[in-house]
Amino acid sequence: MNTSLKTTSLHQWHKDAGAKMADFGGFDMPLWYEAGVKNEHLAVLKSAGIFDTSHMACINVGGKDSFALINFCFTRDIVSLKTGRCVYGAFLDEQGHCIDDAIVYKFGETQFMICVNAGMGAAIASHLDSKKKQMDVSIEDLSGKIAKMDIQGKNSAKILAKLIKNPEIVFDKMPYFSFKGHFSNAPDGIENVTLADGTPILLSRSGYTGEFGFEIFIAPAAIVALWEKTLIAGEEFGITACGLGARDSLRAGACLPLSHQDIGHWKFTNHPWSFALPYTADKKGFTKDFFGAKALAPADDDKFVYPFVGDTLRKANTGENTEVLDENCQNLGQVLTCATDMGIGWLENKIVSINTPDLPQDLKIKGLSCGFVMVSKPLEPGVKLSLKEGKRSIDVTFVTDIRPNRTARMKLDNFI
Amino acid sequence: MKEISDLNFPEDVKYTKDHEWSKSCGDIVTIGLSDYAQDQLGEIVFVELPEVGDSFSQGDEFGSVESVKAVSEVYIPISGEIVGINEDLEDAPELVNEDCYEGGWIIKIKPEDPSQLDDLMDKAAYLNMLKG
Repeated sequence: MNTSLKTTSLHQWHKDAGAKMADFGGFDMPLWYEAGVKNEHLAVLKSAGIFDTSHMACINVGGKDSFALINFCFTRDIVSLKTGRCVYGAFLDEQGHCIDDAIVYKFGETQFMICVNAGMGAAIASHLDSKKKQMDVSIEDLSGKIAKMDIQGKNSAKILAKLIKNPEIVFDKMPYFSFKGHFSNAPDGIENVTLADGTPILLSRSGYTGEFGFEIFIAPAAIVALWEKTLIAGEEFGITACGLGARDSLRAGACLPLSHQDIGHWKFTNHPWSFALPYTADKKGFTKDFFGAKALAPADDDKFVYPFVGDTLRKANTGENTEVLDENCQNLGQVLTCATDMGIGWLENKIVSINTPDLPQDLKIKGLSCGFVMVSKPLEPGVKLSLKEGKRSIDVTFVTDIRPNRTARMKLDNFI
Repeated sequence: MKEISDLNFPEDVKYTKDHEWSKSCGDIVTIGLSDYAQDQLGEIVFVELPEVGDSFSQGDEFGSVESVKAVSEVYIPISGEIVGINEDLEDAPELVNEDCYEGGWIIKIKPEDPSQLDDLMDKAAYLNMLKG
């Protein structure tokens, strides 16, 4: 291990469990455990998995002008964001490039928390600080002060119900992208959520797999106990500890971007995540002015990011050596992400998942490669492309969505 | 990930710096990936095989293995003609992970010059390389 890498509170647990570890965002993190990526990926689709996401960073933003500062810097218009809800968006620089994507949590009219990617706490805190000028705002980088784990999959609520106090009250009225509780002292207006032993948690109905589940923010000193108790509580459901490999293949299948890979130092526009921009209903303008917005105006050299699905599970490498060829063998761009979603397959000309109802009995789902390409011209869904590196080439199709029958947005009542 | 001391390196095969192994039996040499290589790659989901009759020179790429993590080329340790491919890998590529020196072999070749085997590393030399 590179000794300059940071570690999370679960680091020793990962090592003891035999995880293959690697550097991710400056943290020594598990790529997979002994079960392997395929089993970890399928566990989340079939039942439940847990992920150590303590490498992610959080920033507290408070004060009279906190709303104004965030709404000026964030790509979502949070004017209608209610207390107890959270929202996904991005922070842009002056060129309209993405510094990082984030989820903004609203604790109250003058209190917010921003959850960003590994190692980005200081960068986003300093970006906000540079824009606050005379505003009455306090910005506190909480990096290292909060631990986080995600429980994802259709049995997540049943497992959590065994670990938290008053689960029926906690799970009542908890739609997608809402949260309850706080990891230390809950601010006014936020009700407490605690584990059976009284440990406070912030429970957010969100995640990065496209499947039903929660993100749990907790004090670093308490996370190992929660992690171990979750594995015991989930044993009857076949819960599996999952590494970053399964996290990557699940999010790719769910059509979600990885910051600094699928979104990054290029214009944050012409991508599958247009919901992260504050478009007006006619999509011709924005509902607010925000930092970086002017640079997003269309230009001749614009690039376009599209999701794709392969004909088989075979992958292409990312990077400059892989060409994205159209049917005339013209190179259109580069591969940003290519992973294998082990839970999907083609049924005639439709993608199905192991959770698609009424599948033919003889259908063998082996997985399909999927991900995102960045190309130099707009394409229509259904266009066939070849991803070619040297002699090796795979055929893929530009699609508008990847893994069907995802559970993330379904009502919580379906899962308790 | 396993420690090198937990991996299996038989004495009766020769190794390359790219982590292929070669085992000679009569005038046929069987080739596969070492335990270190399969452990580094993680779960193998596809093995791209050459065709019987193809010829390759020492160090040529003869196929590729795809793991959940990456696509990696495999290189032929010595020159020769393909006389057998492991067709079991088509349906069960995980054999390379589970049994890399027996059930997970990849190709069999008829060497052009069997003395090229002498260029390859024995277990002790390979272990030294891995331990850096």
